[in-house]
Amino acid sequence: MSAGPPLLRIEGLTKHFPVRLGAFGERRVTVRALDGLDFEIHEGETLSLVGESGCGKSTAGNTLLRLHSVTAGSILYKGLDLARLDEKALRPLRAELQVVFQDPYSTLNPRMTIGEEIAAPLLHHRKATRRTVRDEVARLLADVGLPTRFSSRYPHELSGGQRQRVVIARALACGPRFVVCDEAISALDVSIQAQIINLLQDLQEKYGLTYLFIAHDLAVVRHISTRVAVMYLGRFAELGPREAVFEAPLHPYTKALLSAVPEPDPVHERSRRRQILEGDVPSPMDPPPGCRFHTRCPVAQDVCRERVPQWREARPGHHVACHFAE
Amino acid sequence: MTGTLSPALSEPADPPASLWRDAWRRLTRNRLAMAGLLIVVLLAFLAVFGPALAPHDFLSQDLDARNRAPSLAHLFGTDDLGRDVFSRVLHGARTAFVVAIAVTAIAVVIGVVLGAAAGYFGGLLDTAVMWLTDVTMSVPNLLLVVVINTSLKPPLARWMEERYLATLDPIWRNAIWIDFILVFGSMALITWPPYARLVRAQVLSIRNRPYVTAARALGLPTATILMRYIVPNALGPLIVAVSAGLGTAMVLESAFSFLGVGVHPPTPSWGNMISDGLRVWQHHPHLLAAPALMLAFATVGFSFLGDGLNDALNPKGMT
Amino acid sequence: MTAAAPAAAQKSAGDAAAAQAPILDVRDLVIEIATRNGPARIVDGASFHLDRGETLGVVGESGCGKSLTMLSLVGLLPNKIRVTGGNAVLEGRDLLSMSTRELRKVRGGDVGFVFQDPMTSLNPVMRIGDQLAEPLIHHRGMTKKEARARAGELMRLVGIPGGESRLDAYPHELSGGMRQRVMIAIGLACEPSVLIADEPTTALDVTIQAQIVDLVKSLRARLGMSVVWITHDLALIAGLVDRVIVLYAGTVVEDAPVDDLYARPGHPYTRGLLASIPRLTAGVAGARLASIGGTPPEPGRRPPGCPFAPRCPEKMAVCDTAPPRLAPLSPGHRHRVACYAAGTVTEAAE
Repeated sequence: MSAGPPLLRIEGLTKHFPVRLGAFGERRVTVRALDGLDFEIHEGETLSLVGESGCGKSTAGNTLLRLHSVTAGSILYKGLDLARLDEKALRPLRAELQVVFQDPYSTLNPRMTIGEEIAAPLLHHRKATRRTVRDEVARLLADVGLPTRFSSRYPHELSGGQRQRVVIARALACGPRFVVCDEAISALDVSIQAQIINLLQDLQEKYGLTYLFIAHDLAVVRHISTRVAVMYLGRFAELGPREAVFEAPLHPYTKALLSAVPEPDPVHERSRRRQILEGDVPSPMDPPPGCRFHTRCPVAQDVCRERVPQWREARPGHHVACHFAE
Repeated sequence: MTGTLSPALSEPADPPASLWRDAWRRLTRNRLAMAGLLIVVLLAFLAVFGPALAPHDFLSQDLDARNRAPSLAHLFGTDDLGRDVFSRVLHGARTAFVVAIAVTAIAVVIGVVLGAAAGYFGGLLDTAVMWLTDVTMSVPNLLLVVVINTSLKPPLARWMEERYLATLDPIWRNAIWIDFILVFGSMALITWPPYARLVRAQVLSIRNRPYVTAARALGLPTATILMRYIVPNALGPLIVAVSAGLGTAMVLESAFSFLGVGVHPPTPSWGNMISDGLRVWQHHPHLLAAPALMLAFATVGFSFLGDGLNDALNPKGMT
Repeated sequence: MTAAAPAAAQKSAGDAAAAQAPILDVRDLVIEIATRNGPARIVDGASFHLDRGETLGVVGESGCGKSLTMLSLVGLLPNKIRVTGGNAVLEGRDLLSMSTRELRKVRGGDVGFVFQDPMTSLNPVMRIGDQLAEPLIHHRGMTKKEARARAGELMRLVGIPGGESRLDAYPHELSGGMRQRVMIAIGLACEPSVLIADEPTTALDVTIQAQIVDLVKSLRARLGMSVVWITHDLALIAGLVDRVIVLYAGTVVEDAPVDDLYARPGHPYTRGLLASIPRLTAGVAGARLASIGGTPPEPGRRPPGCPFAPRCPEKMAVCDTAPPRLAPLSPGHRHRVACYAAGTVTEAAE
């Protein structure tokens, strides 16, 4: 099941963005992107974060890596609280906490060759010297399935899938222990997605990596996760082992989400009865009071509007935030 | 069921091409831009070698041959002191170029440093720099140049006098230096704000691009990020602005010389030649036509080149 | 050959539909783009048809030409791209030889479009009611009042709560799902004979996508339109369409009724695609995903034979010589595949 001891422990993680609205920027609103997330990430596992737009999953990944500041809460890693460290103190740690972003077309510097791009972190983090860097780059390219001659190419000459491999190689160049895959395959074609998923799994085995996999495609998530966390409007709805979440979901939102996913099976699709959620996702600038899902929840009661449900461990290793999940 | 082939099958067939090379290729294909480039290169050549090739010394006067129309001996004729207009125009090219390059270089350095700092670090620094650009741009050019000239000229002249007395080196006697320093200085001080704004806007936009965030996530230090990730991507519009700016600086110098606050006679500048020629153009049109046409020619060249660079460096559909 | 009962029923329903001429019939469509090294073929001889009242799924990955194929039918190709061959007959008229004026009547009037991104496909400075009314006034000659009334009906038809009361809203005031409903309403406004939906749910969340799919299903049943649904998502259209064509590198490689396609995919590319999709319910989770090695060829760099040959696990010598033609798996069968290895029979001259 889930692997070793916790690599990262996150407590009460909160991130709010102040935003100015109105033609003259006169109205100030707060976007409550994340509100009090509590969870652990275990060494060697793949924890997936799923949810729809506005749920805060990308913000969670970015905040975890301290790509911006934290409003409240703590991120404990190797005895340090990342939330409290400044940029200078964080920099050496960044090598161990890497990220692969969604869009392979914009995360590579258009003015650097592939070789230079991968060499930069190798040299900076002292994983290679000027003399050994070429071989190291070749080794990393081979790890991600690209031939050495690609190192003299520029990003715009490569396809989307090839670029994403370069991005992965660049992240590996730092020698990380933890990698956030922020919708790393969403922008790729279907047949390429499968290749990259396989690559990510191979690399995890080879280097003992821990993944936080942020995605919206539940079928992919089911394929690669150890544990799954479902987010809605900045809070966790549910977090548990993969099979438990997919086979026996506890939260009404998880159930609706699973019901909405189509399967490539015409007979099954024609005959199934879907649970269709009414209405749209509320804005994170003005989230509903109490349980944020209550406006669309098929089993909502008065208490759901009044009290925020507690984040509790309903089954061993399986947390949920709902008044009525048993 | 799985394919047996390596994923890197679709390999780019052309040789590696950086974006600069692609841009160069687009530039060379643009006829107007190439014409502009030709003109600029020609002018640069004239600026460097022209005076050496000039048939006559631009200072030598031949009072018997005043205001002669163009002939084989004097390609552009002579002026009212009998000086060869062609040679003077060639010297004017050097003046124009030296001033344009020096002024633009100083302005670009000031602009890039201030603009990049303002864009990257933001906050109070940004506000201060922007305030400075606003103030500089709102003061009328001519006024500023006149003020700088009149207030700096006497102390500068006195300082040079002192140096001469101290060293007895004739170089300090050369009044041309004063002219040039004042011209460069004052012109640079009025032309740097657009560069600062441009660079600041570029840095602001690039700072939030995904590849810069990725560089931060890799733990790379600020200096590396600025030098390898931000500046190279900001060069495109800067190059275009510089090319157009050189042309503008040339015209500006001519305008100031024309008004008498720039380069002073006897140093030839197209501007003061135009000023002189304007007075007598009905009788001696060649005195006006020669420098005016050269100035127009130069401006057109820079303009075409600037447009061509813009199209080459910012093609539709690419960053 | 043995015919199980459902297959036989399907076949006779297929025969009945085939007895009528297809409402849209495209043959050997060729679309080229001007590149640095000369013209390159993006669509290379695509042939397909749409029967009256059926929903056709067009499946392919990026670069296969699926969107361009549809846009070319109404003359909406971008600048450097042109149709250089083939014909497209809509209810007896050849679209590719029409003048711009005639095409303008077809657009919106006979063929409705629903585009992918509702944020950029709606005019941000025009109220929704006006955007809905425009095609009605233009193509159906309605007055402003009549058009507004019909617009209100359309809003209710596509399930926008409050119907007419939201006619004066601007696009940015609506959510993504609402905007897409508005796009569908605009596409349907003039009751076109054919509705072409180009990846209409790709930009939407999965729960909103489910709502839109539900909407389209109910509209289909109610209005009996012929629909073309373009997508890369094989899971999405499984329950939505009657027939599927699969595009690869600008050609149609497979054309089959939907149940057949998923149960017995004929072309190695289709098989590879279906095998590489992770499933929500079936299969062993965590096992390695079957993937198709390599990447699709660029237009202009396609191999001389079958475009899929370099990546095909079942490639034979003949595959490199000439591209295979679409042919049925057995005489008269509606399931057609363009593959030498699939065991197709040559059809009598069409």
